[in-house]
Amino acid sequence: MADLNIRSDSVNVEQIMEQIRERIREKRDVDYTEEQIKELAAVKLERFLDPRGVRSDLLEQFRRARPLPPERPNYAFEEQTLYESHRAPLRWIRRLLRPLLKLFFNPNPLIQALNIQSRLNDREARLEGTRHELDQLNYEVIHNLVVEVTRMGIEVKNVKMRVESLTSRLEFNERRARALEGVVLYKPPTEGTGTVTSEGDADEEVAVDEARPDKTSPEGEGPGQRSRRRRRRRGRRSGASAASVMTGTEQTTGAESIGDTAASRGVVSTTAARDADTQDAGATTSSSPGSAPTGQAVAGPSPAESRAHESTVESPEPASTIPERDPDEQ
Amino acid sequence: MKLAVVVQRYGLGVNGGAELHARYVAERLARHATVDVLTTCALDYVTWRNELTKGTEEINGLTVRRFLVSHEREPLRFASRSERVFGETHSVADELQWLDAEGPSSPTLVSYISRHVADYDYWIFFSYRYYHAFHGARAAARRAVLVPTAERDPALGLSIFKPVFRGVRALMYNSPEERAVIQALAGNHDVPSVVVGVGSDVPHNPQPKRFRHKFKIRGPFAIYVGRIDENKGCRELFDAFGAYREAAAGQLSLVLVGNALMSVPQSPHIRHLGFLNDADKFDGMAAAEVLIMPSYFESLSMVALEAWALGRPVLANARCDVLKGQCIRSNAGLYYGDTWEFIEALRAIEQNRWLSAGLGRNGRQFFRDHYDWSVIEGKYLDIFRRLSAEEPSRRSMDSLPGWLRRRRPDCTPGGEVVAGLPAGPILEASPEPSSASLVSHPERRQRTGPARSTERPQRRKSTQPPRRTGRQASKTRRT
Repeated sequence: MADLNIRSDSVNVEQIMEQIRERIREKRDVDYTEEQIKELAAVKLERFLDPRGVRSDLLEQFRRARPLPPERPNYAFEEQTLYESHRAPLRWIRRLLRPLLKLFFNPNPLIQALNIQSRLNDREARLEGTRHELDQLNYEVIHNLVVEVTRMGIEVKNVKMRVESLTSRLEFNERRARALEGVVLYKPPTEGTGTVTSEGDADEEVAVDEARPDKTSPEGEGPGQRSRRRRRRRGRRSGASAASVMTGTEQTTGAESIGDTAASRGVVSTTAARDADTQDAGATTSSSPGSAPTGQAVAGPSPAESRAHESTVESPEPASTIPERDPDEQ
Repeated sequence: MKLAVVVQRYGLGVNGGAELHARYVAERLARHATVDVLTTCALDYVTWRNELTKGTEEINGLTVRRFLVSHEREPLRFASRSERVFGETHSVADELQWLDAEGPSSPTLVSYISRHVADYDYWIFFSYRYYHAFHGARAAARRAVLVPTAERDPALGLSIFKPVFRGVRALMYNSPEERAVIQALAGNHDVPSVVVGVGSDVPHNPQPKRFRHKFKIRGPFAIYVGRIDENKGCRELFDAFGAYREAAAGQLSLVLVGNALMSVPQSPHIRHLGFLNDADKFDGMAAAEVLIMPSYFESLSMVALEAWALGRPVLANARCDVLKGQCIRSNAGLYYGDTWEFIEALRAIEQNRWLSAGLGRNGRQFFRDHYDWSVIEGKYLDIFRRLSAEEPSRRSMDSLPGWLRRRRPDCTPGGEVVAGLPAGPILEASPEPSSASLVSHPERRQRTGPARSTERPQRRKSTQPPRRTGRQASKTRRT
């Protein structure tokens, strides 16, 4: 991707914006502006809608096709309706002649029928009105659904593009991780110690491989015997009797107890003396099982220092500290 | 020389753009002339309720005369009138009713102006769209200098304002874009005018560390200063900023300064500090990597100018012609038309120190060249000198149509009129008509760089900003 080429002495905003647009074009792979995208979306909408003969301006079309119903006429028909007039004298004369009219025919059934009819008309008009509103609502719902479905389609496309983008980023990260792993060098273990170091940070990883049978140790002596011997030696150095060390009856320093505990868990640990030397320097001298899994390099002092303290490093469970992976595989 | 500044609201606590502009100008011009301020008793620009006592008071050494507002704004009435005049064919009477509904209606103020026209050499009216400016400019047309503070909104398209733009003695524009739009609308090319804008009292030694310490802000951040409102483009800002954090793995946080009229997204990367005093505001702007201006409508962004004065780059909304034009002319800010551009532009400012520093440097220079108080004062005094030398009776303002003509529904909707006006930023500042006589700062003018074109200002096609509906305009209308 093109980087921004900006000279410090003269900043040209238009030029920078052009470069930014260029970057965006490269990123998006296509040269679409927002307007073009909207246009595209509209085209898609038409394509989506046309096969069904539905238009995007469905509601407007519907409203245009169906003019609003005319205003409801006055259906009211009451007993006096026949004789009503806005002219008061006429109304008075009609009322006066009503008995005479009744001599010729009976208007009551007519009035009743028309009254019923007026109520029916009214009800029908109300139903028609409701139906009209419902129709509008239905069309509106359909219209909105069509729009939403189209929008969702575009959204799905968008999300797909984002997923693709994320996939490519993930792949890039994987490649990067592999490349970084390739940088790590394996140094074959020197005699007596198996030390794996990574280039660049010598104190970062120190793995003590004591599981392999020591060539200098007497034949038949197992690792457990060797560690016991070491404990005895340590006990003598600290002034405690071997028996007390072995039985653990004598009080030990915190560091020693940690070391012992860790040792009992089968994890590489160091002595209290080494703790005192290295903790001040900020180095990790003991590690819990959680922080140093099997086969993983343990952070600690430099290899030289490690070798110097080799006699104090315990590994009661040798198998746990042997690098399980072939260094070549790294 | 005796000047009167007429503005809709006035006071130390009034922070509206045009009102602050009026106060700054009045206080600065008071160094060269006797200045009185005429205003209303209102403080709230939505209701225009009379909250201050009428009469005379003194603010920062200036005499301020306050007049009562005859009625408060009724939001529903104003909204319906706005919808009518902005969206439908209407009459002049409708527009006058809209103006009255908008407020702040103060017939006593207009009557005072009519009675005392001769008492002042010039009457400077702020904000063309309000009652006081419309009627006041008509009452004192021969001595009226209008500072329109016009934005590209439908009100500009109303027919009643064209005679005002043509009939005043002079116009003081805030930006070349504003001048181009008003001249295209009213055809008032012969009216003396100058692009002035307004300066700002930016502190010389802002304290970014103090701001970070006070508000416990760590890491680089972008800042937005202003009302947090959808009409100011804040919704778009939040969306775009979210996309920036997500897509570009951006490191900048967003700090918001100002009162919120909408909900602010809950995000660890967005901090809303509320309304801050000037000292904190300037400290925050100095501490920020960039100021973001997402507004669609601005006649002049004082905040952007302040950011430039502090040497900070600006990222502006490209749909606002004025902001985009300022960014291009100053070479001090980037702009965005969509989310992609927002992300990339913000990332470019964040990651490229050279760019950020270069933009900031240009901004500082732009501010010094065009918005330093000495430049602003010089432009005002120069236009007064020009007007004094000119015959006052050459122009007259068209009178309002008669009773019948006023009710004829033949006015085009304001929205349509504005949509038909030329859009886009002015790429090069055209020479001011009065520039020859602007002799107060020749050395500063020489420093502005390459010789400016004498041709008509170039316009660039740009997409129209979303049209503001009458209801929206009524809600948040503020200059």
